[in-house]
Amino acid sequence: MRVIQRESNEAKPTRILYGANLSHDRLVKYLEELKNLGVIQETGSDDKIYSLTQKGIEFLNNFRRVETFASAFGFKI
Amino acid sequence: MEFIAFIIAIAVSYQALKGYRLTNERTLLYLHLSFLLLGAGLAIDGLANLIVLLVRFHRAFLFLSSLGYSINFVAQLVAYGLLVFAYIQQTRTSVSQVAMAAMPALLFEHNPVTELILLFLLVYIATQTGINYSVNKSAISLFVFGAFVSLVIAHLFFLFFTFSAPVFFALAQIAQLFGFLLLLAMLLRVNHRL
Repeated sequence: MRVIQRESNEAKPTRILYGANLSHDRLVKYLEELKNLGVIQETGSDDKIYSLTQKGIEFLNNFRRVETFASAFGFKI
Repeated sequence: MEFIAFIIAIAVSYQALKGYRLTNERTLLYLHLSFLLLGAGLAIDGLANLIVLLVRFHRAFLFLSSLGYSINFVAQLVAYGLLVFAYIQQTRTSVSQVAMAAMPALLFEHNPVTELILLFLLVYIATQTGINYSVNKSAISLFVFGAFVSLVIAHLFFLFFTFSAPVFFALAQIAQLFGFLLLLAMLLRVNHRL
């Protein structure tokens, strides 16, 4: 999700693959899970392009807040 | 002052609970429970002392002050113990294993033994947060480090108070409140940032 956001909220699978350092099988599995959770969506007519939904953006913001809070105490998420 | 600290402790606890619900990370659960216990202990101790004050230190109610302290001590012991456990779980080194002293039989009043136990736990936590600040160099980690240093100072003052120096009780309360205000500053910064 962070990779998608870094790419101005539109990323092709290859970009996500290298950015997240995943194998192809894992990438396909995770993308499917994220789509089912409603945090990413597939756009683009010919090429598959993934973008964050509003729910996904909110989730990332909340997750960042939690990460920041935990890191204040020296805990890693 | 204890009621202000109680509100801030509950706010930190709630923030940790929100984080735990989102991520299922155990350390956040320990953080939540730790500050919940701290808040509960402060509230009970504060309430007990308030009642004693309102009845103008009537003899029949004086036991409430001791009861409030002992409940607060146990709450803090478990709370700081949980935090220490969370840090140990994270670092997973045998060097950071802490042996918990057996609870003394008499813990109904401020006494050097109880204060030393809490001081020991707090120094460990302050050290961990200090190491975190030295790595991160962020304002929020500085606030947390400062908060636990203030709590160490507060318990040092409580320790001096046990040697019958009443002025140290007031200084301890001020240091404790300052520590919690630093935690409030951290919370405001975390929530304002995003």
